[in-house]
Amino acid sequence: MSGDEPCTSGELLTQALAGERAAFGALVRAHQRSVYSLALRMLSDRHAAEDLAQEVFLQLYHNLASVSSEAHLGFWLRKVTMHRAIDRLRRTPRYASAAPEEAAAAASDTEHADPMLERRLRSLVSELAPAARAVVLLRYQEDLDPVEIARTLKMPVNTVKSHLKRSLAQLRERMNETADALT
Amino acid sequence: MSPDLENEDLERRLHGALEAVDPGERFVPGVLARIAAEPAHAQRPPRAAAVVSWLAFGLAASVVVAVLLAHEWQLRRIEEGREARRQLVEALRVTDEKLNLAYRAVNTQQQAAPAEHSGA
Repeated sequence: MSGDEPCTSGELLTQALAGERAAFGALVRAHQRSVYSLALRMLSDRHAAEDLAQEVFLQLYHNLASVSSEAHLGFWLRKVTMHRAIDRLRRTPRYASAAPEEAAAAASDTEHADPMLERRLRSLVSELAPAARAVVLLRYQEDLDPVEIARTLKMPVNTVKSHLKRSLAQLRERMNETADALT
Repeated sequence: MSPDLENEDLERRLHGALEAVDPGERFVPGVLARIAAEPAHAQRPPRAAAVVSWLAFGLAASVVVAVLLAHEWQLRRIEEGREARRQLVEALRVTDEKLNLAYRAVNTQQQAAPAEHSGA
């Protein structure tokens, strides 16, 4: 990499492909928030999430030649992260039933109007079934539309839409219960 | 609040609640350390690894082609052996016929010779 000049993701990809560790490090830095947050909110465990996110980037390092563009890189990372997370949830049921405190506590550094409410919302999301949780995270954390979510999770678009509809209904109901309990 | 507005509000809150969080400064060094800790053959740069993969594929393809050529050569040799055997059998058959003719000719001459001697 050349000095402090910022590189585009395409340049970083090319340099990383040529074996430049610094360029690969910059690529990791550019995508670590997304990959780590998806892993954390799927597994509800900081250490497991960090381990999984590192595994995803390790896999990326060995498969960089198959990544054709920046958009493809984002798609590839989300797909591998979600499949690995769902696979780990299947193999290690303790993550599936883990207390969602860690995921709930994992707030971003930006300030929001109601941190308690957001914390409760994160906690409720982490209690959703793994497939539904994956759909909700890709929709509201990654801002993907149902077609992109379907491609990422290899599931029919209608299944994605029904997961979203049911999850929103479930979350709304649980939020209302919480509000009723507080009043 | 109507259900639609409620949904809209919930979606807005979800966007806010599910903002991505940073794993911290130690994350990138952790990834690079795991790459460095891998065995040397696994650490090749991705492009070199791709070249090695193609070389391995090329080598495997060459072995398959060589096996097929050897098999073809073997079949041709078997066919040539069969043809040589057929020609040998044919040559023996012709030789046998010629010998039979010669034998019959000699026999006929021998039988004719005593008759001439006795007549004289």
